[in-house]
Amino acid sequence: MTTDQRARSIGVHLVLIAYSLLAVGPILLVVMNSFKVRSAIFGSPLAPPDASTFSLVGYEKVFRSSHILTYYSNSLIVTLVSMALVLLFGAMAAWALTEYRFRGSTALALFLSIGIMVPIRLGSVAILNMMRSAGLNDTLTALVLVYVAQGLPMSIFILSEFIQQIPKDLRDAARCDGVPETRIFFEVVAPLLRPAIATVAVFTIVPIWNDLWFPLILTSSDSTHTVTLGVQQFLGQYITDWNSVLAALSMAILPVVVIYVILSRQLIAGLTSGAVK
Amino acid sequence: MPEPLSNITVQMPRAKLAGLLLFFLGPAVAIYSLFSIYPLVATMALSTYTSDPSGARSFVGLANFETLLGDALWSKPFWNALGNNLIFFAVHMCVQNPIGIALAGLLSLPGVRLKGFYRTVMFLPTMLSVVIVGFSWNLILSPLWGVAAGALKAVGLGSLFAPWLGLESSALVTLSLMSVWQFVGIPMMLIYAALLNIPEELIDAARVDGLGQFRIFFHIKLPLVLPTISLVSVLTFVANFNAFDLIYSVKGALAGPNFTTDILGTFFYRTFFGNQLQLGNPTMGAAVATVMFFIILLGLCLYLFLVQRRIRRYAF
Amino acid sequence: MANLRIEHLNKRYGATTVLNDVNLSIGDGEFVVLVGPSGCGKSTLLRMIAGLDGASGGDIHIADKLVNTLAPAERGIAMVFQSYALYPHMNVRKNMTFGLKFTGVPPTERERRVAKAARMLRLEELLERYPRDLSGGQRQRVAIGRAIVREPAVFLFDEPLSNLDAALRVSTRVEIANLHRLLKSTIVYVTHDQVEAMTLADRIVVMNKGCIEQVGKPLDLYYEPANLFVAGFIGSPAMNFFEAEVGGIEGGRARVAGTAFRNFDMPAASLKVGDALTVGVRPEHLVRGGAGPFLAEGIVELVERLGEASFAYLRRVDGRIFVAEVRGRQTPAPGETVTLVAASPDVHVFDALGLRVAT
Ligand SMILES: Nc1ncnc2c1ncn2[C@@H]1O[C@H](COP(=O)(O)OP(=O)(O)OP(=O)(O)O)[C@@H](O)[C@H]1O
Ligand SMILES: [Mg+2]
Repeated sequence: MTTDQRARSIGVHLVLIAYSLLAVGPILLVVMNSFKVRSAIFGSPLAPPDASTFSLVGYEKVFRSSHILTYYSNSLIVTLVSMALVLLFGAMAAWALTEYRFRGSTALALFLSIGIMVPIRLGSVAILNMMRSAGLNDTLTALVLVYVAQGLPMSIFILSEFIQQIPKDLRDAARCDGVPETRIFFEVVAPLLRPAIATVAVFTIVPIWNDLWFPLILTSSDSTHTVTLGVQQFLGQYITDWNSVLAALSMAILPVVVIYVILSRQLIAGLTSGAVK
Repeated sequence: MPEPLSNITVQMPRAKLAGLLLFFLGPAVAIYSLFSIYPLVATMALSTYTSDPSGARSFVGLANFETLLGDALWSKPFWNALGNNLIFFAVHMCVQNPIGIALAGLLSLPGVRLKGFYRTVMFLPTMLSVVIVGFSWNLILSPLWGVAAGALKAVGLGSLFAPWLGLESSALVTLSLMSVWQFVGIPMMLIYAALLNIPEELIDAARVDGLGQFRIFFHIKLPLVLPTISLVSVLTFVANFNAFDLIYSVKGALAGPNFTTDILGTFFYRTFFGNQLQLGNPTMGAAVATVMFFIILLGLCLYLFLVQRRIRRYAF
Repeated sequence: MANLRIEHLNKRYGATTVLNDVNLSIGDGEFVVLVGPSGCGKSTLLRMIAGLDGASGGDIHIADKLVNTLAPAERGIAMVFQSYALYPHMNVRKNMTFGLKFTGVPPTERERRVAKAARMLRLEELLERYPRDLSGGQRQRVAIGRAIVREPAVFLFDEPLSNLDAALRVSTRVEIANLHRLLKSTIVYVTHDQVEAMTLADRIVVMNKGCIEQVGKPLDLYYEPANLFVAGFIGSPAMNFFEAEVGGIEGGRARVAGTAFRNFDMPAASLKVGDALTVGVRPEHLVRGGAGPFLAEGIVELVERLGEASFAYLRRVDGRIFVAEVRGRQTPAPGETVTLVAASPDVHVFDALGLRVAT
């Protein structure tokens, strides 16, 4: 390597490191300070907690005065159920649209792709009316239904791309073998769609976990709040109690970060895979 | 969508084909139509009604839109929100996308180590909830905590510090930059993926021709990823004109100070649900949503007919 | 085991005709090979027999039963694909039994068939492996095994050997020939490879642009091609063609006259003076210093040496190139003028429509 190249390589790394710091700095700062006593939060915000400044008082407060565990389980239920349904129904629809020749298939594909670009939020007024008249308002079911409707178009789009990459001969071989069409989908095609899950997750699941809008308009009681809404309301209420605020933020951040770091390779591979060329 | 892959349905009995389609497409189409398309249509329909205090609804045609665009009580906040939304979008286009492109360009340089690590770290904020991000920045920028002020002082720029989020002149741009900080990961990743798709030989050929990395990026790579950049722009547009969470969680439904951070999303929410100053008005809310729908549609059409058509796609 | 009858089969995609009035009758236990240039409709024909593509018109009978509307599995066929199409997430045993589950074969019977096929194809050691852990040749054998366990009336092969390297292709070809001897089943086999076609086939079907050009025993196609297309397609290097016309008719004999060869006589039959003809001679039938009606001269341009034979590229008087096979170590040198002769049965004459004229 010439000195010129070395200098440039160092320059590139400096820029990347600087931006990385900018990206994680604020998150680190919040998480770090959530473990400190109030005086240390203000006295030396950039210092990590040590024996004398370590404190969990904020977390105790969050556990005592909010239903954080309920929020977690609500978010988990809503996200997982939505994800399962988005994947299942999305893959089934993508299969029919990419595999079968039938009249109106192009029109149907266009119809389904409206939702990729037009946000479902704009229908909130009617959604709320519908949920009320169906007796579903303030239930997790309402959230799941809306999220599935919201996630389906993108997941159908992504999964279609993946299904097209499964060799044509494979399905034909199964047909010659006498495998019924439904079994071809569930036992030959679906198992091969595993790599698509990460891509679908980035585009449809992460927005569901992080959503504020629909919990805000569709749920009204603590027992149905999700983490995002629950923490948002908690923050509004305890705005001056810095320990609790930082702890609540950290509790919303940490599970996502942990899961993200564990799955980041697959998630990023999914994001950069052919599906979004 | 391309041609179907299989001809198996050609000689299939009609009833069997219908059964298969119902089985595979039924659930998705039903849920999607019922909870996505129908509400959109119903909302648009509702925007042509008005309700009196007793709750009875009556058809008023386009009167709600006349009120929204003509009655100063409504039109002033509407145009204010639309203007702010345009600024919000402009900041994203001018800051988020160039940074995303630059980072993707750096990451795709040959021989850069630790790519995976950088990518993971830089994409992290995108995974978090807008609410959390907004609130965290709110604390960091707060004069009470003094982290931002301290950081500026440390580099000798202490005098520049101001409570940006609280000032009418800077609140909107600050919020936009917070959103940029969070979502830079998306253009970065998509453009990075597109850059990876450029064949190695093409870059090698350019190097043999004597072009430096900088020129290669601007003259070869960038033109080739233009389709992705324009796709990113549309995604940004739709997301921005549909944004709500950030402003609501940092500034509340009133989008202070003095509505300077009000965008269409928050305006819609206030109109629909009401707030300290006014009662919720579902029919006017529906009208606002309908206008938002047409704004997004307009953006999409502009993209499809003006941008998409002119961009040449290259096959490798 | 069964016969196969195809009548007036047509296939159109919109305005393009892919198969045009195909008629073909295949006997019980016959090994039929379809050959033809790329895009001529071989795969399409095979897929229509399998029921994977619907016909635009015409009938397909398998074992004297009309199968037009039957699903692939109900037709009693098994297909082996060029890409093998093994289920990547199932091991070899599961790959072979998967289809049987749905056609009502009881488990013990399934195991019996798998064991038998595995023995036949030397797959016993590989039954628990996944396709990704197999070599190309092994995958190919599994694909064939999967077809065998179905005990079909008709086997369909679509270029099964084209993904294998040259050596493996030869050994697998021999294996398929053995298999056919053993199973005595009806086989329809698509290939690009002439050697495969010649060695395996009971009969070869030559297709071109969606039509059947000729059906016949391998050597019949070679020695008596029915038309110019088949003459040019079968054999490698391709047959040499010389333009000619009927120069005169005398005593029931027609004089074949051309610029690039010495005129010769042949039975006149229905030929008339002035008819345009094409004379075809295979490179391997042109010899130096032999006797025969056909004689042409050329200047050697280039000699390709392959070992067992060499090919000389010669420039004719009219400036075009023709090829002759030269045996032995002594090859002519470039620039040399060579006189070549072909014996009577090896000289093919075609009329203006490209159809064979008896010599
Ligand atoms: N779905 C389709 N729509 C339109 N044309 C098609 C379709 N499928 C095949 N064809 C056309 O049908 C013709 C025959 O195709 P086919 O695959 O049968 O050729 P082939 O003889 O098997 O060629 P190869 O030797 O290359 O495999 C081709 O010209 C092809 O372009
Ligand atoms: Mg083919």
